[in-house]
Amino acid sequence: MMTLKKWVTTAGAALALSSLHGEMLDLEKDELKFGFIKLTDCAPIVIAKEKGFFEEEGLQVEVIAQPNWKQLLDNVINGELDGAHMLSGQPIAATIGFGTEAHIITAYTLDLNGNGITVSNAIWEQMQENDPALDTDTPAHPISAEGLKPIVEEKLEEGEKLQMGMVFPVSTHNYEIRYWLAASGIHPGFYTSEDKKGFTNAQVELSVTPPPQMPATLESGNISGYCVGEPWNQQAVAKGIGVPVTTNYDIWKNNPEKVFGVNAKWAEENPNTHIAVVKALIRAGKWLDETDDSGTLVNREEAVRILSQPNYVGADFDVIKNSMTGYFYFQKTDKREMPDFNVFFKYHSTYPWYSDGIWFLTQMRRWGQITEPKPADWYHEVAKKVYRPDVYLEAAKHLLEEGHIEESDIPWETDGYKPATDEFIDGVLYDPKDPIGYLNSHEIGNKDS
Amino acid sequence: MAESAKDKVKYKILKALDVSGFTAFDPVIRLIFGEEPQKQLQAIVKYLVIPFFFVLACLWIWTWMGPRHKTKSGEVPTPDIVWESAVINDTIADREEIKEQDFLLEGVEREAALAEVTKEYAVLSEEVKRLKELVATAEAEKAELEAKAIGPIQEKHDALKAEYKLAEKERDEGIAAISEEVAAGKADTASLIAAIRDDGVATDAERAELSALKSQIDEIRSQKYKPLEEARKSYDKVADAQFFMKTRLEFLDKRNLTVKLDEAQSKLDGYMTDLASAGSAKDALKIAKRAVKAEESVDRLEGQEYASAVTIYHQTKRSIFTVFVGFFMAAFVAIPVGIMCGLNKIFMACLTPIISVFKPVSPVVWLLIFQIVVGAFFPDPENHALLNFLNELPLISSLEINPALIFSACTVAMCAVWPALVNTALGVSSIDQDHINVARVLRLGFWNRLFKIVIPSALPLVFAGLRISLGVGWMVLIAAEALSSSDGLGKFVWDEYQNGSSLTFANIIMVCFVVGIIGFLLDRMMIVLQRFVSFDGGGTSV
Repeated sequence: MMTLKKWVTTAGAALALSSLHGEMLDLEKDELKFGFIKLTDCAPIVIAKEKGFFEEEGLQVEVIAQPNWKQLLDNVINGELDGAHMLSGQPIAATIGFGTEAHIITAYTLDLNGNGITVSNAIWEQMQENDPALDTDTPAHPISAEGLKPIVEEKLEEGEKLQMGMVFPVSTHNYEIRYWLAASGIHPGFYTSEDKKGFTNAQVELSVTPPPQMPATLESGNISGYCVGEPWNQQAVAKGIGVPVTTNYDIWKNNPEKVFGVNAKWAEENPNTHIAVVKALIRAGKWLDETDDSGTLVNREEAVRILSQPNYVGADFDVIKNSMTGYFYFQKTDKREMPDFNVFFKYHSTYPWYSDGIWFLTQMRRWGQITEPKPADWYHEVAKKVYRPDVYLEAAKHLLEEGHIEESDIPWETDGYKPATDEFIDGVLYDPKDPIGYLNSHEIGNKDS
Repeated sequence: MAESAKDKVKYKILKALDVSGFTAFDPVIRLIFGEEPQKQLQAIVKYLVIPFFFVLACLWIWTWMGPRHKTKSGEVPTPDIVWESAVINDTIADREEIKEQDFLLEGVEREAALAEVTKEYAVLSEEVKRLKELVATAEAEKAELEAKAIGPIQEKHDALKAEYKLAEKERDEGIAAISEEVAAGKADTASLIAAIRDDGVATDAERAELSALKSQIDEIRSQKYKPLEEARKSYDKVADAQFFMKTRLEFLDKRNLTVKLDEAQSKLDGYMTDLASAGSAKDALKIAKRAVKAEESVDRLEGQEYASAVTIYHQTKRSIFTVFVGFFMAAFVAIPVGIMCGLNKIFMACLTPIISVFKPVSPVVWLLIFQIVVGAFFPDPENHALLNFLNELPLISSLEINPALIFSACTVAMCAVWPALVNTALGVSSIDQDHINVARVLRLGFWNRLFKIVIPSALPLVFAGLRISLGVGWMVLIAAEALSSSDGLGKFVWDEYQNGSSLTFANIIMVCFVVGIIGFLLDRMMIVLQRFVSFDGGGTSV
């Protein structure tokens, strides 16, 4: 309790006005529109609406499906949307001006993990031929791209490049599939100031396809594999058109995935509304990750019921259910328990960590989306510009006073940096305090001094 | 006398059929009025019964072909499945309405509804439990059947695999032996190459055999087990209903408007009494501040509406509205410009290159252009005066006019403008020379000539053009909505496609019919208008 008191007195002094106990916030705007992409990790936003958490904050929220990540971002920038379910890389890229430039911020991380890499049946068979260890119904995980390498090389000899899909240039998926390929020595290509497609020096060409179209694009043979969020990997298994080979949990254990992004201008004009929204989202996240005594997730089935409505994710209940209730089908015969496939609240995951932002920045630099070398300070500065734990903590403080969360749910005292970790598929150590050192520790990719 | 009154009715009906282009039903009316029954029956068989059976035959072919064409997204849905999906969409719309009613219910009615829904929820919960067990048993059955079917094949596969592994080892050893011999100069190099080649061929053959067995297994696995499918379906249906009841409970209880209002009001009242007995100025200030806030939240709640999910009916309404906005924009430009073109050859010559170049441009391109251009006019759509004004108009306020609607309508207008324009120009330029001569003789002024001679004689062609325009506009709109994600039938289809659920295919076909039928009605409407303005009495093509 001591720590909390200290915190409340310091932060409370600055925000004396809004510290009325259990009061509704003084909302600047109460009718809001939020955008999302049809992926299961939009769940906190949908749940906050459907379970009435937004309503309890006095907010009337409309949740609108967007056709692709670009339009979603454009709609947030032009004010059509008040906020949206965004790829972690989007606020960062928009703020530093890669792609459409606009200052976008985030005060809430929606989830951890939740992506998979799926390859077509033909590629999977060839991978099995190349690596007999994979030739069973339940191969050992994590599966690296080693088995893919001979296929890529064979293609290159024929003068072709293997085509794979990801969802957006600054998506987590792009960095994950690149990481996975590069960890096995396959070059996924550089972005340069002229090459905005990222094909320079590529051995595998990665192109953009919106998530819901992934299975169809794979089936039509335009791409041989993809990295995408759920339910589009399970859909490939259900339709029998591909085999998920790995999930991003294996590439980087408990990696940040989506964030709730808003325009910085909007946040400035509607500070209390922003806090109210984050409050509702925190409650939704907690609701999603609620477990009973035996550790089973109790609310997930209801969440799946809601998400399978056609105006939200809309895929079949049974398909969404797999990953959301802690299972993942790698093949029809290979069902595995993955309780942490989607993390919405555990491990202090919803806190907007600076260290997450810095990782994405290092990947942008690694693959040349950031064309110039930058000093280490710049990485910290940008992360602090985009990630806004102050808003998050203010919302959490209200919730704690109202008794909706417990003190241990929130990392009150952190400096915003997660401890260094080497839980990557290639075991490289990531120390968020040393972005340049991390950049230089990879074999493939840009290096700075 | 009675006879002639009857005839009058008959001819009125026949005229109506004629004007609306439903002349095929002519004999039915005549038969009802007892006119030459023999002849009418013949006509009915020829033009109504046979076509009816033809349509039935088409439906039968569809029903027969559908399940035989397997796609990766499932079977082609048969008419009954499409109908089922239409019913599901209707249920979704219904449920939204019920939830809205629940949200607004007050007093005794609310309590009664709450009690009823609680009861229903309990019943459904039991049902869900029962069905869940059924699904589990069906799953177990399926697993057992599958294991039985796959077992032998799997065994065969494993045995073959082991055998082939041995064979490959042998071949490898053989090759190693030959290569040693070659190295020692005992055998010739060609035999080594032949051996390696043979090895490759043999390996490929073995692989093919194994993968054939594997695909047999996959085939068995992907086969649907009817009882399980059905159990799942009924489980899902009941679980959906149960979930709906659960949501209703929330809307009748703690999320109900009156409940929330009462709560806010009592809070406010509490502060008011506290305020009256406040001890110090500081306390009074604090409580008063809270009271003001509570007052605000009461006000806000009073203005709160149920946030309904978008239903197919809403999408349809919005699409029809959008197509008319676009259509009127097109007509507004096409008719005056077309008249100018028809009257003045130079003007026509000036516009010809523009018309010829832009007419064939794809709607998708226009959409992108308008998205950028129109978007610039709405930097802050939330506070835009025009949008706010439109969204406060009585009839269309529920349609939520936004920039997406406006640029979809612009795209419709851009594509619909050409047929109307060209036809108007043609209509004006092909006026009977006699009419113009009469106008000359009468020394009519420009405006008189325009409104008395030119427009009336060009009207039939103008309307023929407008009819094509509306048809084109409707077709373009669906594509534009799909791309711009402006609410409407196009977005509905696109969202369905993106959902990739088991109902996706059926829903897309359902929209196909909805769009087709609405398009047909719009076309009929234009035919009727066209017939009213044409004095030549000529028929219109279907």
